Amino acid sequence: MSPVKYIELTRALFSAQGFPPYEWTLNETSPFTPFGKKLEECRVALLSTGGVYIRGKQPPFSPDRNDLTFREIPKDIDVTELAISHNNYDHTDADKDVNCIFPIERFRELEEEGYIGELAPVNYTIMGRIFRRTALQNEMAPEILRRLKEGCVDVFFLVPA
Amino acid sequence: MGLIARIVEESGIPTISVSSARDVTESVRPPRSVFVDFPLGHTTGKPFDHELQMKIIKDAFAVLKSIKQPGTIIDLPYQWIEGDDSWERELESQMTGG
Repeated sequence: MSPVKYIELTRALFSAQGFPPYEWTLNETSPFTPFGKKLEECRVALLSTGGVYIRGKQPPFSPDRNDLTFREIPKDIDVTELAISHNNYDHTDADKDVNCIFPIERFRELEEEGYIGELAPVNYTIMGRIFRRTALQNEMAPEILRRLKEGCVDVFFLVPA
Repeated sequence: MGLIARIVEESGIPTISVSSARDVTESVRPPRSVFVDFPLGHTTGKPFDHELQMKIIKDAFAVLKSIKQPGTIIDLPYQWIEGDDSWERELESQMTGG
């Protein structure tokens, strides 16, 4: 296995387009909250960075970069109502089956089989390619966090596209 | 995405992240991750392959329980094309316009 070197490739692309090199966040340590509950009693919320929104009811994401908004997707959404606005990954497959990047139907099944306590009533989608790190850290992330806390979410499951 | 995981984890809600970009995940270090070596856009599996999608998700939940060391990345065994990783080099050469 030799995973694709996205950082190197992105640097090369940026410099070829005349942009200054993008400095990826480099963290030496990670925050940690031990998981001590029973999963079958947990309320789990899902987040995807795939640019998923509800067609006709929510505004599409700005498909290029730096869209700091998020969409709330109710747990019982009919997946045929979902669409994707994102220019930076190939979502041909995810357009056919959104569960490739936002596996909300699988999570409903996990709830039905009792594997998790429940899927949270509200789940979240954002766009990747956010280069405004400070705004992400100081505005968008705290707002999502506030809603997770308000919604008594026990576990947050994140799926980047 | 890793930054959001870190902020949420910091405030006391355990997180689990699924990644298809191992180098980015190594750099950002979300609290717990599983790595799925698939082309972007298939982080939780191939279209309509419910069994594979479910396996990836359940593997991620298993890791939520098992990881004790912050920043750990667990490599999942799934291959995009069984026994053939040429898609990775092809994608790299496409991205560099080669």
